[in-house]
Amino acid sequence: MSAATRKGQTTDKPVSPELIAKAIAKAVWAGNFVNFKFLFLPFSPARADSSERFDAERYSYLLPDDRTVADPGYQQALSLVRREDVWRHVESELEANRPAQLPSDLLLLLADNAVRAGKYTSAALAYELLRVRSRMQEEFFAEADRALDRNDIAAGVHGYLIGTGLAYDYAAFPEPLPEVADFQVRALALHGDYPERPEDCIALQPREHSIRTALGYLLLSAEAEARLAARPMELREAFLEELVRRRDPQWDAFAARYREASSQAVQLGARLRADAEQSRNSREGLMGELAAEQLEEAQRIMVRLLGREVPQGEWWQYLKELAYEHPPAVLFVGRQLVGDTEVIIPLYRSDSPLPARLGLVPQP
Amino acid sequence: MTDAEKGYVDYFEVLGLDSAAKPGEVRKAYRKVMKDLVFEIHSAEITEERRAHYLLEMAKLNAAIYILRDNDLRETYWRERQEVIDLEHEWRAAADAGSSEMDALRRRFDATVRHFLSHYVEEAMLDAGRDRECVEASGWNPAHERHASRILRHYRHGLYQDILERLPYHEVTPPRIDWDERRSIVAALVTGDKR
Repeated sequence: MSAATRKGQTTDKPVSPELIAKAIAKAVWAGNFVNFKFLFLPFSPARADSSERFDAERYSYLLPDDRTVADPGYQQALSLVRREDVWRHVESELEANRPAQLPSDLLLLLADNAVRAGKYTSAALAYELLRVRSRMQEEFFAEADRALDRNDIAAGVHGYLIGTGLAYDYAAFPEPLPEVADFQVRALALHGDYPERPEDCIALQPREHSIRTALGYLLLSAEAEARLAARPMELREAFLEELVRRRDPQWDAFAARYREASSQAVQLGARLRADAEQSRNSREGLMGELAAEQLEEAQRIMVRLLGREVPQGEWWQYLKELAYEHPPAVLFVGRQLVGDTEVIIPLYRSDSPLPARLGLVPQP
Repeated sequence: MTDAEKGYVDYFEVLGLDSAAKPGEVRKAYRKVMKDLVFEIHSAEITEERRAHYLLEMAKLNAAIYILRDNDLRETYWRERQEVIDLEHEWRAAADAGSSEMDALRRRFDATVRHFLSHYVEEAMLDAGRDRECVEASGWNPAHERHASRILRHYRHGLYQDILERLPYHEVTPPRIDWDERRSIVAALVTGDKR
C-alpha cells in the first residue's frame, strides 16, 4: 500500500496488506460492526497515513489468533476480503482522504455472522447501513412463523428473538438506537400499581391476558406479540415456556429457589391466619412482636427468591434485581402487604399448566 | 403524493384536499374526518397497537388544521417542503454526475430534511394538541401527549427512513441483494442454529 498524504503530512509507515486483510476478516467473521468500522476510520492502524500501528499491543485484539484462523467461517470471510473487486475497493478507501465508503459485500456477511453469534445490535447496525434492516427483520419473523406452523417451537422462538433483536428504537433521542433489554425497568411498570384484587396481579390474571402480557414483556415488542395473538393458546404457552428458558439460561436454579419460597409463603399464610386469631385476645405488646416476626419471615421469602439479600432492600429493589437476573421471574410474583411493609411473594395460577412445566410448583 | 415526495408529509393530502384549498375548506374537511375518526375509535376494541395508530392519525389531523388554517404558516410550510424536495433532486443529480459538491450537498440536505421533519411533524403535532380548536374536536389531552411523544418520534423517523431509502448510498457501496439467497440464509439461521 502506498504512503498517503493527510493534512499536509506525509508518512512512510508500512502497512502489511496481509494484516489489513486478516483484521477485516476477523471483524467480519466475529460479526463485530464496531471493529469493522474502526478499521476504516482516519486513525485506524490499517491506514498508511495514521500513526497507529498493528504491532502495538493495544491493537492485538484486531488480529486473529490460531484458533480463529482455523475456523472455516474466518477462512470464508478472508476469501471474500481477498476477492479482487473487494480488495481493490478496500485499498482505495483506506487511501482516500474522506470518510470511507464501506464494502457492502463484507458488511452483509458481517451482519449474518453477527446474527449467528447472537450479536443482534451489531447485526441491526450493519443491516441498517445496508438499508435492509426492516426487511430482514420481516424475513426472520416470517421464517419463525413458518417454523411455528410446523410446530417447531424452538426455531419459532429463535426466529422471534432474532426479529425483535433487530428492532431499532426510532423514538430514541437524539439518534436512533437499538432496542435494549431493560427488563428491570419494564418489571416495575408491570407491578406499578398495588393489586387491590387478586385479578389485578399480573400472575393471577386470566390465562389469555397473562400470556399476552408475558409475551409482550419477554419479546420486548408489542408488534411481535400481536403477530402471535391469533395462534392457539396451547402453542403460545409452549412458545412462552421455550422463551422463558431462552431469556434466562439460569431458570432452573431460580425455579428451585422459587419452590422453596412458595413453601415458605404457604407457611407464612398459615401463620398470618393463626396470629390473627391469637391477636384478638392479646395485649398490644405481644401484637407488635408478632408483626415484627411476620415481617421478618416475609422478607426471608424475597431473599430466597433472589438468592441473596439486598441490604435494607425494599420490595421494588428486590423486583428490579430479580428482573435483571431472571427476567421471566417477575411474571410469577406479586406484591403483598405485611403490616405496613410491602414484600414480593411467589404467585401463580393453579389452573395454568405453565408454572408446572416451568418447574415452579412444589412437589406434594 | 408521488413516490419522489414520499416522506415529506403533505397535510393537504391528510385531509383529502388539493393544495389550493382555502382555510374554510380546510376547517370543513378537518371536522368531517375527525368526526369519522372519533366514531371509529369509540366503536373499536382498543389494543396497544390500535391506540398507537389512532393517536398518530389524530395527531396528523390536528397538525393539518393547525398549519393549513393559517395563511402565513401554510405558505411557509409549503415553501419549505418544496425547498427540501428540490434540494433532494439537486443532491441526487450531483451524486449521479459524481460532482465534487456531492458531499457538501448531502450534508446540507440531511440537515434541512431533519429540520423539516422535526418542525412539521413532531413539533407541529404536539403544538396542535394544545390548540383549543383541536382539543375541542379531538378531545386531545395531556395524557394523549405523554403517550404520543414517543409515537410521533417513531413516525418522524419512519418518514426519514422512507426518504433515505431512495437516496444514493454514500456510507456503503450499493449492495447487491439476492432475496432468494437471503431467505435461505434466514432459514438456516433460524432453524439450523437454534441454541
